[in-house]
Amino acid sequence: MIWVETLINGALLGGLYALLGIGLALVFGVMRVVNIAHGEFMVLSAFCAVLLSNLFPQVSPLLMLIPVIALSFAVGWLYQAAIVNRVVTSPDPLSPLLLTFGVSVILRNVMVELFGADVRSLQVGELSRASLEIAGLNIGIMPLLTLVLAALLFMALQLVLRHTEFGRIVRATADRRDIVRLSGVKPDRVYNYVMGLSLALGAIGGVLLAVRSSFTPFSGAERLLIAFEVVVLGGLGSFWGALLGGIALGMAQLIGLKIDPNAGLLYAHLLFFIMLLIRPSGLVSSRA
Amino acid sequence: MACAIVLVAVIAGAPFVLNEGFLRLATECLLLLTMAQMWNLLAGYAGLVSLGHQVFIAFGAYALFLTSGWLEVTPIWVLPVAPLVAGAVAAVIAFPLFRLRDAYFSIAMWVFAEIIGAFTMKSQEVGGTSGMPLATSKLIDFDWFEPTMFWLAGGLTLVTIAALYKMMTSSFGLGLMSVRDNDLAAMSVGVDVRHNRFIAFVLSAAGCGLAGALSFMGNLFIAPLAAFDVNWSVYMMFIVIIGGIGTLEGPILGVIIFFGLRELMTGPLGLSGGWYLVGLGIIAVVVMIVAPRGIWPALRDRLGVRLLDVHRAAPRPAGAAILPTVSERVTG
Repeated sequence: MIWVETLINGALLGGLYALLGIGLALVFGVMRVVNIAHGEFMVLSAFCAVLLSNLFPQVSPLLMLIPVIALSFAVGWLYQAAIVNRVVTSPDPLSPLLLTFGVSVILRNVMVELFGADVRSLQVGELSRASLEIAGLNIGIMPLLTLVLAALLFMALQLVLRHTEFGRIVRATADRRDIVRLSGVKPDRVYNYVMGLSLALGAIGGVLLAVRSSFTPFSGAERLLIAFEVVVLGGLGSFWGALLGGIALGMAQLIGLKIDPNAGLLYAHLLFFIMLLIRPSGLVSSRA
Repeated sequence: MACAIVLVAVIAGAPFVLNEGFLRLATECLLLLTMAQMWNLLAGYAGLVSLGHQVFIAFGAYALFLTSGWLEVTPIWVLPVAPLVAGAVAAVIAFPLFRLRDAYFSIAMWVFAEIIGAFTMKSQEVGGTSGMPLATSKLIDFDWFEPTMFWLAGGLTLVTIAALYKMMTSSFGLGLMSVRDNDLAAMSVGVDVRHNRFIAFVLSAAGCGLAGALSFMGNLFIAPLAAFDVNWSVYMMFIVIIGGIGTLEGPILGVIIFFGLRELMTGPLGLSGGWYLVGLGIIAVVVMIVAPRGIWPALRDRLGVRLLDVHRAAPRPAGAAILPTVSERVTG
């Protein structure tokens, strides 16, 4: 029974992990850039939520998600417009990688200096401990809500990309950056919106992960690696693949923690590496 | 040649002139320069950016600490073990990793380093999380320890740069650079892309292993958090990017800026190490945007200086007398 509970909890955690990955996948799918600073931006949004909930202690920390998402969108827009757009068309595929890595180092150390290296977490009071009992299994309300939210967001994102004007423009830009200009689309501006959207999605994941477990300014690397593994395991083709990848990683991590309480992310990393060995061709699939 | 003799003389004589603190700094400088050159060999010449190169530093250092402990000999005599182990590990993991391209390779390397780091922290035989001291440190002659470390680091740096220069002007280096510039064109003239990348990867790992072993030997202590620190990759990358990726002079300039800025910011300005990394990161990002190939290539083109240039001029078109028809077709 305890193993069933572990698997279910792993799947619920996977919903959260999928949320971490989806922002990264969106940016990669549209502009072929792996934003190495994605993890640091998530940690930054968690710090914003902590600061806001300290300022307004009477408001539920979960409501802080709204201003944090808006802020993250604006930051993403500016980040893309001011920095990433300058290298996105570079003939050298390594330039965006190196640049975003540099940004991640800057962000991490600014956070260390501003907020200190202490371990933080976001307290949501009763909600974090509340649980449901179904057929003798203890299932936390918060993780359940997270998974539902992740599924809803994925559906919404898919609808937006498939059926709206904005979605068509984004997909067209992802396919042929040079050709969309003929229809009056400015690719750089599309990229700005996409990066804003990506960081807004990352903020949701970052804040919810901060509710679940503690974080420090150094947690960004861990979050980036999870996000990346989710994307690669799920394949870049579909959002549902990312959800499956996240669930696989969540289960691997929780099973690992049952076997060895201080394993951390080791078993999730191992699962990723083994998948890389046995299914290399299926990993890197077509663009989003 | 004269230049090389002067450099050797400077390195041989330096320990008699410099005080101990300065000597340590110079040793650190030289070791980081070697690591940066090795990272540059992979990123600047083979086009593979590794964000997990700290794993080779750790493999080299742990290999040295363990073999020296088992054999109970002075660590200097078992130094060759470090590059061998690091190179062997690279040769093995190259097979799965080389299926991945660009950012996938970079991050998969990072995940690999995280996995090995986590296992190291769990293994009590190598000291677990708390690490282990150098078991044979009592065999070391401490009167000559700092100078010896400096000579080893200096020798390694000179040999590395000379070997890279030789390599980059050989057919292997030309093949490597042609792969970086245009892999399709390189393949069409018969360059074995995978083979070239494999050699560059193994050499790069071996060099980092040796430099890492020397670095931790100087500390007489090793702990996984320091050995598997992702900041090793950050340092190597920033030095190479700021100085000039894909050039031999670039990392030298990069190391000077790296240490100059560190001594300035943490010394007279009294700022913490965090702000130093922020400053370095900002310089790297600005350089990437303003001069994507780094400071050295921009300076070189403006001043017209050539130091360790491996660039070759394109062959002149064949004279009209030799190939009249071809020449006519080309010009017409």
